[in-house]
Amino acid sequence: MSLTWRQLRALLRKDLRIELRTRETIAAMLLFAVVAMLIFQFAVAQRSAEVTLLAGGFAWATIALTAVLGVGRTWVPEREQRVIDGLLVAPVPRLVFLVARTVVLVVYLTAVELVVMPLAVVFFAPDTGLSDLGLVLVSGLVANVGIALVGAFLASMSVFSRARELLLPVLFLPVIVPNVIAAAGAAYAVLGPAPDVADYRGYCLFLGVYAVTFGLVAYAIYDYVLDD
Amino acid sequence: MTDPAARRLAILGSVTGALLAAAVLGAFLVAPEDADQGVIQRIFYFHVSIALVSLIAFAVSFVSGILYLRRRDQKYDEITVVSVGLGLMFSGLVVITGSIWAKASWGTWWVWEDPRLVTYLIVILLYAAFFMLRSSAEGERSARYSAIFAVVAFAAVPLSFYSVRVASSFVHPVVIDTAGSKVPGSMMVWFLVSLAGMIGLFFTLLQLELMQRRADRSLRDLKVRLERAAERRLSRAV
Repeated sequence: MSLTWRQLRALLRKDLRIELRTRETIAAMLLFAVVAMLIFQFAVAQRSAEVTLLAGGFAWATIALTAVLGVGRTWVPEREQRVIDGLLVAPVPRLVFLVARTVVLVVYLTAVELVVMPLAVVFFAPDTGLSDLGLVLVSGLVANVGIALVGAFLASMSVFSRARELLLPVLFLPVIVPNVIAAAGAAYAVLGPAPDVADYRGYCLFLGVYAVTFGLVAYAIYDYVLDD
Repeated sequence: MTDPAARRLAILGSVTGALLAAAVLGAFLVAPEDADQGVIQRIFYFHVSIALVSLIAFAVSFVSGILYLRRRDQKYDEITVVSVGLGLMFSGLVVITGSIWAKASWGTWWVWEDPRLVTYLIVILLYAAFFMLRSSAEGERSARYSAIFAVVAFAAVPLSFYSVRVASSFVHPVVIDTAGSKVPGSMMVWFLVSLAGMIGLFFTLLQLELMQRRADRSLRDLKVRLERAAERRLSRAV
């Protein structure tokens, strides 16, 4: 097993073990997501007959806003426990930190998606079949990679900045807008009135391109982010 | 005027002024009127060129951001900041001129189905965060984070364009696409003059702002030196 892989595994075990013991982040994210979906249901769905068209949009608006909570917690335990300096002087390539954070955020977002998408179907598109729900979940998984990658990257920059809590959503949300538009498009291509497999594939391809693009950007410049 | 940079700026400003004046005259008085859209089509000579220049501004900030990360030269940090500011200004003008066209064409100031107008709104939000990030960090970190975000934001620009463009509703007329230009030569000439004028305007404003920043820095250095000299003279007198 290579050294990089062992470092990555150690970081992942640390982050996931902290989360399993405290259950702070994932519980808050799930609760927030359910409340947001209920708000959409009460505020919009009960007053409109065409909510099936909006199911994907509601779900992805909820996931994007919930992601802010998860991304906002990235690096926070290390900063509060003053572990961050130790981590940064450890002989670990900076990119390994980013990959570890990204994987943890993908786990969080996938958990949220597994709750939000069935809720979206129950609330707004009750006629949806299980196979269609599966397709929406698959496109969501690809979208999660892009969101998690951008979130982990920007969280690393905001950790040393003032007004971190205010800054991060302002940086993060505009950058993930293309990803959210495509993910909502993929959901619409499956759940909408005229399902279109070609559209669905196109949106999934875009989500993949988004993740790869930011993966390459992060590969090229992430070392400069933690260059302190 | 002995400063070569000031002389270059004066020449650039004069050429830009002449090009913009020619573009205004050409677009409103010489170019033929579009048979389909009428007089409102003339706004495209400026709307499209402003849009292209805003992208050039963000591309300049992307390149200067990379150069700052590699060389850590304050000059590149200043180019990044000024380019993002000018890019935002041009993007604001794109939205305003686009809205004017939308009002004349569709009777409404804003059309959510128009992918490019919506994209510019996203781009404005994206780059507006740049200044918030810059002010929340200090010293070298502020410049480094600005450079990094300029690179990240520029990577997001084409993705924003594409994501909105793949939306099925597509009402914005495509003037230039992969198959080439759909504009006749008599119109294209004035569009190119307008584009050259706008590019000149961007580089004039960039140069002007950079000169102002350098003058400001020199003045601050001079003030510090004078204060130190005054302190030394005072201590000798005592």
